[in-house]
Amino acid sequence: MTLFLAFAIFPLYWIIITSLKGQKEIFSLPIQYWPEQVTWINYLGIFQISHFQVYIWNSFLVSLVASAMVVFIAMLGGYVLARFSFKGKRQVMFGFLVTQMIPMFIGMAPLYMMMSKMHILNSLFSLMLIYTVMLIPFCTVIMSGFFQRIPNALEEAAMMDGCSRLSALFRVIVPIMLPGIAATFIFAFVQCWNELIMAVLFIDEESVKTIPVAMNAFIKKYDIEWGAMSAATVLSVIPTMLLFAFCQKYLVEGLTQGAVKG
Amino acid sequence: MGFRSWISVALQLTMATALLVGCSQPAATPDSAASSGANGVTLKMVESITSPQRTALLKEMLAQFEAKNPGIKVDLISPPFEGADQKITQMLMAKEELDVLEVREFNAKQFSMNGFIENLKPYTDKWQNYDQLTDVAKRRATWVDKTPYYIPNGLYQRVLYYRTDWFNEAGIEVPKTWDELLVAAKKLTDPAKNRYGYSFRGGATGWDYAMITMWAYNGTEVDPDSAFFMKDGRTIFSTPQSLEAMQYYKQLYKEASPKDSVSWGFQEMVQGFVAGSTAMLIQDPDVIDGAKEKMQEGTWATAPIPIGPSGVAQQVVGGPGWGMTSYSKHKEEAWKLIEFLSEPEQSTHFAKKTSTIPVVKSAAEDEFYKTGYFQPFIEMSQQPTKFLDVSRPVDYKGWGAWQSTADKDIQSFLLDQFTAEDLLKKWDQYWTKEKAERK
Amino acid sequence: MDTQKPIVTMTKQVVPEGKKSFRISKEGRFIFLCLLPAILFVSVFTYYPLVRGIIMSFQNYTLFDLMNIQFIGLDNFVIVLTSPDFPRVAMNSFYWVFFSLVFQLLFGFMLALLMRKKFRGRGIYQAFIFFPWAMSGFLIGLIWRWMFNAQFGVINDLLLKTGLIEAPISFLADGAWAMAAVIIANIWYGVAFFAIMILAALQSIPEELYEAAAMDGAGRIQQFWRVTLPYIMPTMLVTILLRVIWILNFPDIIYAMTNGAPAGSTHIFATYMIDKVIFGQDYGQASAVGVIIVLILMLFTIFYVKATKVEKGGDF
Repeated sequence: MTLFLAFAIFPLYWIIITSLKGQKEIFSLPIQYWPEQVTWINYLGIFQISHFQVYIWNSFLVSLVASAMVVFIAMLGGYVLARFSFKGKRQVMFGFLVTQMIPMFIGMAPLYMMMSKMHILNSLFSLMLIYTVMLIPFCTVIMSGFFQRIPNALEEAAMMDGCSRLSALFRVIVPIMLPGIAATFIFAFVQCWNELIMAVLFIDEESVKTIPVAMNAFIKKYDIEWGAMSAATVLSVIPTMLLFAFCQKYLVEGLTQGAVKG
Repeated sequence: MGFRSWISVALQLTMATALLVGCSQPAATPDSAASSGANGVTLKMVESITSPQRTALLKEMLAQFEAKNPGIKVDLISPPFEGADQKITQMLMAKEELDVLEVREFNAKQFSMNGFIENLKPYTDKWQNYDQLTDVAKRRATWVDKTPYYIPNGLYQRVLYYRTDWFNEAGIEVPKTWDELLVAAKKLTDPAKNRYGYSFRGGATGWDYAMITMWAYNGTEVDPDSAFFMKDGRTIFSTPQSLEAMQYYKQLYKEASPKDSVSWGFQEMVQGFVAGSTAMLIQDPDVIDGAKEKMQEGTWATAPIPIGPSGVAQQVVGGPGWGMTSYSKHKEEAWKLIEFLSEPEQSTHFAKKTSTIPVVKSAAEDEFYKTGYFQPFIEMSQQPTKFLDVSRPVDYKGWGAWQSTADKDIQSFLLDQFTAEDLLKKWDQYWTKEKAERK
Repeated sequence: MDTQKPIVTMTKQVVPEGKKSFRISKEGRFIFLCLLPAILFVSVFTYYPLVRGIIMSFQNYTLFDLMNIQFIGLDNFVIVLTSPDFPRVAMNSFYWVFFSLVFQLLFGFMLALLMRKKFRGRGIYQAFIFFPWAMSGFLIGLIWRWMFNAQFGVINDLLLKTGLIEAPISFLADGAWAMAAVIIANIWYGVAFFAIMILAALQSIPEELYEAAAMDGAGRIQQFWRVTLPYIMPTMLVTILLRVIWILNFPDIIYAMTNGAPAGSTHIFATYMIDKVIFGQDYGQASAVGVIIVLILMLFTIFYVKATKVEKGGDF
């Protein structure tokens, strides 16, 4: 287990150390396991040469909005899939599963054309839209798992009291389901936060670039700027790690509800 | 409980933002409104060989251009280098709004054939600075169908980088031929010290290095306009010289290069050199920039690339440049921009800052290029019969398919899964067929 | 909450979806409206491009000549399937999925067992374990590629320093090592997902079940086999299915680390497809590979669902 831990944590250690090294030291042989001189130049660089604060904000906005939309749509869909059995349900489920099998590259060129015709390329909106789409199937199914754990009696009681089904859903069920919702939200958020390929394809201008796109810019023709890249990695991972550490209890509780079906 | 209500508030907030942003975003996208600015034109421009530094430089130059041309605004698109050409292709296929683009020597043919880029002849005919371009630059500009489709912004010509300190230590001279290079490389190889003679390129597009070796062995009999063929029409892969070249190539890998280098790409071979693991490297001029940053002054130098037994050395001088989309709505303005960027003064400045070879004749007189690390480039260009510029058969239908398997074939060959004869026979058949089908 | 309670479903009025008839009940409309956004988004932005992609796989869609695109029947499929690369790519894909999955599952399981117990700093600890998940696959590939380098990579340096090896291993220069290297990177990346899912399942096991087992005289190991494993089986089966699908379709790490090198020995279907686009410039053949991927996964899923009986009420 210790060995595994070393295996799991060493790359992180290595990234952090590299981010604190100067240009010459990163490439010097023999390899240095501790920077001879700790420097913050890489961190300063990513704010001065590129506009990292802008990218962080963009990534944050895209991830937040897309995850919120996903959670909302998945909640409705998941609820219905959990509570009713109807004709076509199997097909819908299978349809969702098949989306997971489609290699991203197969529909990429047509998707780009579509986005181009809709005139939404080069906007954060295009990313919010596509991330929402990419995450709907998985999140809907996870959500439907959560709903299955919640006894039917709760909303029936509410409906007896005169609530409509929708308001029963939001007033009675959603508060109970918060851990599950949080888990789905975090899952979606992290996926959006990392997404690279669509972001490179759809985004043109500096002002709307997200973190992964900006990080890829450190790969140059003859060189990878490891210093800047590592510093950017550290900064980009911090928010998601905080999110994990902060919400891990809910994340696990939430997934418990969704993943295990009796 | 406190946390729970916190989440609920956060959720409600995010949903509200979702609705808000979801609705307001389309109106706020710049591209719909941008194409016809209040009293002028907005050009869209995309670069391909991007880096944060190059983008900053380009933006500076664009600001100057805008200051000079008050009616024109330029929006620069700088996709990450990795995948940039992919993205540009995608933009062109979708006819996404774009006016000026950076064309690379390897996609120029595709772009012109699919009608993506504009023939610049009408503009260059009237352009006084066209004759300021060096011969190589002009050849790059007219790479496709002998017609100018783009104006190069810098040349990527390869030279030999070497460790002066190791060479001095071992008491050897800088190699001038491939044979000398192998001798020197073997002498400098000492795996115990993690030192190797040569930074081999076996990874992505490593086939280009195999071609350079084969060309040097076949000499002037190679057809410079389509250098996979000989002047007499056979493929280059059918000659005994090529067999010799490939055997040499394997020897260089096995006896004087790191074993790992069979999968090294551009970044690793440079990294191997600057980290002090390899003694020699054949690469583009932009490596000078990185080497200056990471290596001690006085431990390295540059020299012309080695020549083959035939007495010459050929390479494909890379020359990306500015072109115009065929569907641009603002062609006059787009040309104005290309013209501005290609002015001798501007393009020399751009070349210096991006560490490439300038495309204009006047630069040969520039102190910056006459001395130091750039001197070998000038030396090479002054001996055009010894250092030749050739073309790849990118205008063949089978080019893409060949390219996608060539690295794999060479790697199999280097790893002894394939003999040199088999390799050459395979390629010879492939290109003979390609040529026959083309007629 | 009683976890063993069967799912209550309300089967009142069954309405074929999308078919607008005056007999649509209130419930039917509700079902339709709730699913509409999900179905609409997915059909427009996933299935429509997919259909276009499938059409491309029957065309000579190459960048070389976009002006002259025609239907060429099954030619692209024939070229891909008869290519000498194909058996190798298929084998590699199998190794890639199988070994990644087995070790991700194993380590994920161990991690989950470890983290089930509460201890100080568990949250931070978990965050560290899960951090690979927060990076893009491409970046992960690049980092591992750098670390695996034989000349200036840190892994060889560490192995040399600790005396485990005598001479540096050229991980990425040898077919078998390279395959191992990309799989190691993928394991590193994927453990978090398994750990999180299994941990979730473990924590839902009611304590009473263990108590009952203990009363029956079951030891720790027996408890594991009799209580833990059966209880979390459904989660595991679903997670495994999803992971198989995701791993097979995950080119990022291999693309960044080796892009198939050396000599094509690390290509899987997903990277082979990218190769066809970027170097081969042949969208037709690339799409054909993509269609093959979908078909393989569909067959696998049908087989898997049948074999494991994981399907419950149409769930995956």
